Amino acid sequence: MSHLAPEELLLDYAAGALPEGPALAVALHVALNPVAWRTVQDFQAVGGALLDSEPAPAPDEFALQRALATLDSTPVEAPPVPPKAIPGFEWAPAPLLPYLGSAPRWRKQLGGFESIPVRLPGDTHRVEILRLMPGRGLPQHHHNGLEYTTVMHGGFTDSTGSYGVGDFAIGPGAQDHEPIADVDDGVPCIAMIVLEQPIVLTGPWGRWFNPLVKRGWL
Amino acid sequence: MLTADEAADLIQAIAARQDKAAFATLFRHYGPRVKAFLMRGGSDSETAQEVAQEAMIMVWRKAASFDRTRAAAATWIYTIARNKRIDHLRRTGRPPIETEDWLTVFSPEEEDADKSVLAGQTYTRVKELLGGLSADQLVVIQKAFFEDKTHTAIAEELKLPLGTVKSRIRLALGRLRDVLEKEQEE
Repeated sequence: MSHLAPEELLLDYAAGALPEGPALAVALHVALNPVAWRTVQDFQAVGGALLDSEPAPAPDEFALQRALATLDSTPVEAPPVPPKAIPGFEWAPAPLLPYLGSAPRWRKQLGGFESIPVRLPGDTHRVEILRLMPGRGLPQHHHNGLEYTTVMHGGFTDSTGSYGVGDFAIGPGAQDHEPIADVDDGVPCIAMIVLEQPIVLTGPWGRWFNPLVKRGWL
Repeated sequence: MLTADEAADLIQAIAARQDKAAFATLFRHYGPRVKAFLMRGGSDSETAQEVAQEAMIMVWRKAASFDRTRAAAATWIYTIARNKRIDHLRRTGRPPIETEDWLTVFSPEEEDADKSVLAGQTYTRVKELLGGLSADQLVVIQKAFFEDKTHTAIAEELKLPLGTVKSRIRLALGRLRDVLEKEQEE
């Protein structure tokens, strides 16, 4: 049973209404989950039908001439080849590659996990790729804002269920949650996390770290 | 009027032989519609003109990537225009990541090839079904697609509770998707 993004989120994505962070989380979900992909295709068909049904404005001959004048110097491009995988990052779906740079590096974090920050200059969401070794957990925490999670490799389990490759989870965790990477796959769990606001750590030691989290140091 | 098949033929003519006459026919039909779509989204006339122009030239450049078994021509052009709008909004100091590379081109590897053959029929059905929606439903759907608004923003603007907007969109989309899913299963 796969975990799909809520339909209204897929619609906002198909309509181009999501900020870059959540849009990237959904793009990864769509790239890995055929049902989400199909749903977005259908929504895009709705967009196409709406575009076609616009009351016909008069053709703009001047704009057409201007466009035609540029075509000689504008080649029709060959279809794109899928981008080359980065060694060690073969699990990364195509939409993620432009954000990884040429030589991404995992950084060890307090709490026993690793991460790669993803910088989105035009968006206030905090975006990170997390890697958890099998059986390892994230510190117990809850969210002030929305949290979008897309699993890209392995899987994890928390109080809300088990999530595998292509699954999408959306918080606010009304209650604290403590995701633990699944052991069965024998591979680390790698997921993209998009946070509206810094998370709040709630475990016995976690509170101490909150000021650091707020400053974006953790 | 341009049928879905005619529009697809035109895009393929551009891909096969850089057919400018085909481009002109497409441009006359879609150029002004794309501009109108962008203006509904709040662009001023000048910006909409510029972005629509870029979108139509993108249709030329990317014609060889168009796959009529995957999406109807109108759907494909919609996604290009939408991505151009996103690029335009996000344009900051750095070169924009070309959103169409990930919003349009890639699909899951496991995707069932048989289903994509239905793209043309899906589109035709969607178009018919849109005609059957109530005015209330159509207005929320139009806002969602054309005005670049999230559900929350639509609710504020229509002075409706978020739940009402969600359920209207859900109802409208639910009707569309029920029919589509049934057809895909057949």
